[in-house]
Amino acid sequence: MSEIASELDSESSNERFARGSRLVDLLSKTGLSLAILAVILYGSFSSPAFFTTGNFLNILTSMSIIGIVVVGMTFVLVVGGLADLSVPATIACGAILSLGLQPVIGPVPAFVVAVALSGLIGSVNGVLVGYLGVNPIIATLGIGTIALGIVQAAVGGVIVYGANPESAEFVKGRLFGIPVVVLIFLAVAVIGHFILARSFWGRWTLATGGNYSAAEASAVPVKAVKAGAFVITAVAAGISGGLLGLTLQSARPLIGQGYEFSAITAVVVGGVSIMGGFGSVPRAIAGLIFVQLLTNVMVLDGVRTPIQGFVLGILIAGAVGMDSALRKRGVA
Amino acid sequence: MGKDLTLVREEIKPEMGSTDFALSMKGITKTFPGVKALSNVNFAVKFGTVHAVVGENGAGKSTLMKVLSGSYQPTSGTIEVGGTEARLRRPADAQALGIRMVHQELNLVPDLTVAENIYLGRMPGRWGFLDKNEMLQKATAVLQEQETAIDPQEILGNLSISQQQLVEIAKAYAANPRIIVLDEPTSSLSEHETAALFRILRKMRDAGIAIVYISHRLKEVLEIADEVTVLRDGSMIETRPIAGISASEMIQLMVGREVSNVFPKSPAKIGEPVLRVNSISDGANFRDVSFDVRAGEILGLIGLVGAGRTEVARAIFGLSGIVEGTLTLNGKDVVINSPAEAVKAGIAYVPEDRKGDGIIPGMSIRENISLPVLRSLTTFGWIRGKADRTLADQYVKQFSISPPDPERRVNLLSGGNQQKAVIAKWLAAKPSVLILDEPTRGVDVGAKAEIHNIIGQLVANGMAVVMISSELPEVLGVCDRIVVMRDGQASPPIDRQDLTEERIMALATGEEVA
Repeated sequence: MSEIASELDSESSNERFARGSRLVDLLSKTGLSLAILAVILYGSFSSPAFFTTGNFLNILTSMSIIGIVVVGMTFVLVVGGLADLSVPATIACGAILSLGLQPVIGPVPAFVVAVALSGLIGSVNGVLVGYLGVNPIIATLGIGTIALGIVQAAVGGVIVYGANPESAEFVKGRLFGIPVVVLIFLAVAVIGHFILARSFWGRWTLATGGNYSAAEASAVPVKAVKAGAFVITAVAAGISGGLLGLTLQSARPLIGQGYEFSAITAVVVGGVSIMGGFGSVPRAIAGLIFVQLLTNVMVLDGVRTPIQGFVLGILIAGAVGMDSALRKRGVA
Repeated sequence: MGKDLTLVREEIKPEMGSTDFALSMKGITKTFPGVKALSNVNFAVKFGTVHAVVGENGAGKSTLMKVLSGSYQPTSGTIEVGGTEARLRRPADAQALGIRMVHQELNLVPDLTVAENIYLGRMPGRWGFLDKNEMLQKATAVLQEQETAIDPQEILGNLSISQQQLVEIAKAYAANPRIIVLDEPTSSLSEHETAALFRILRKMRDAGIAIVYISHRLKEVLEIADEVTVLRDGSMIETRPIAGISASEMIQLMVGREVSNVFPKSPAKIGEPVLRVNSISDGANFRDVSFDVRAGEILGLIGLVGAGRTEVARAIFGLSGIVEGTLTLNGKDVVINSPAEAVKAGIAYVPEDRKGDGIIPGMSIRENISLPVLRSLTTFGWIRGKADRTLADQYVKQFSISPPDPERRVNLLSGGNQQKAVIAKWLAAKPSVLILDEPTRGVDVGAKAEIHNIIGQLVANGMAVVMISSELPEVLGVCDRIVVMRDGQASPPIDRQDLTEERIMALATGEEVA
């Protein structure tokens, strides 16, 4: 009795999951799955084109490119790094380099170099945020703008086209009937999930986001962990950009526009806390699935684009609002 | 000053006198889903008295105060303030009735001046413009009345924590309250500063204010309170005049069992020096600090708040830098630049601020315990689940952490059990030196004894322990030798037998003993 009462006694204004009624707890665990189910049910009734293998494959494919970014962005939010706004620039870097370097060093090295240089953008972000304590929004916005400028200058502001049809065929092709892009996304998601949930680095990431000074006092290299989250996101965005370039066989500097917003929406809708310390890759991907299905249903129903944006905006505001409210009340 | 005094105080007088009771809570029950946090509690406070509320962590003190402050709605029961029934739906309702809370964590804005803080949210002025002169005048009057030597124009952040606490009390006082609730007001104060606080409390009491005083420190309760109410497991056990109760009776009522010895000191064999601190300075908070701590020994490090105790501990642990001096660990000079290096060298530190630096609230007991040694539990970077669980199981059992469920989120535990988890976390790193900063602060009597027992077991096994504490009886009861710090300088270690509370206070304040 006294133990439980102490839960109620303890001041827990900024602690998530301090206590909770069973209903709220259940809703937080199953709410998203229910929402996904509801969208699928509604979609099946409202449009004959919805519940078809073709449509689902389309959703999966379009989800995969952004999904890779979502996996990375989860680390940034969990570590308490708010958000990485340099994602569009990193995607552009990945796409432009992986196509532009093809004639010079061949498709596979081009892809690797593109991802590595994207990671470099992430490490600059990481140093600024983790080691110098710059606000992540400002740092990533600034570095993103600079990186985009450099990439634009390097390619002369024009569109870069692919020079290696085989690599395009491979990326667009299927393996065991599943599009290769989807397989790559699944691989990235599984690796990301295991790193966050099962590796010491993931535990450190959660600890740093949960309570920075306590993690520091527990011998966690907090600065490196915080920086690392931005490197992980940049590498993911680089892979995503490279695949996007190969799929489209063309890359312009603004190719990644809007991806940061979509990724943050998915992660936040998935219930990953914007304040850090709580979240997982599967949750973020569930958020992504929900957003993608909803968008798909809206498209099939002929909902106009501005309304779609409106709905997504409400969704993200609602998710963040709920996060804050839950934190304030300390429930679920 | 007399004129200023009436300026501040005149509004309150007419409301009093209609009844002796400032507050009367009757049959208060508060249930949360599945839990009864308060059960039929009766609680009444007279005007012009200091009424202490004591009880173990989780006894319902905070819940009761949250009901009083309007943060929680009681499930049933009535509240009368000044003789009239009141419905407190939100904190603003309680404030409008003259109920003010002074929380353990200060609610002040460090970048504003003292005067601005005192009148925060109620700044005097006209048409939306602030009348700075009036505010300053009023703030000066309030501070003078409280006989505190704080400049109202000083920026708050430049004050010491204890001075900030006094500002917080002045802020509550300036709002013409009928009831002031103080939650553990002395937890960051030294004995010297506590005495100053008590002078202010007595003044406020004599001015007719009802003061509710929540504290774990029974000695202080005996000193300041007129009446005391004991809570246990959400029920009111007893309310008594302070004259008719002793500390051991209070403890008995609080825990419902007899605690024979509050400070058990298990004898341990004292061996060779493990850590030697050789005239270290950090260039700001302390200078030329030297001491050594031996295997099997508990070394007390005490002093007034701001004397540099915590800073010394943090520097040894690599959380802040040492500019001069060296550390010798097991006969070898070591340089420590980060907590990770300290852990590797065999030094562990249980910080003072448990919520801020100790626990990761959203993580389980298991995840908290294994955090400092996580790398050693991995294979190719992956955490070995079984090793992780075994470690947690072991300490949960050894320290009888309650509830004994390693998967329980650590912020759901009581303060004492959280502290045990934080200590366990460090023992997993197998340190040769353990630095404990206020290990029993904010912890109830039963858990305190358990923590002392744990420390006793550790030194019995040859660990060297440095313990920072503000509680002199605790220090004198537990420590073998004591280093007293004052203004950043440290005395040489003194044997416990050669010390008394008075002697320590004299060393800590620099005042000569009579």
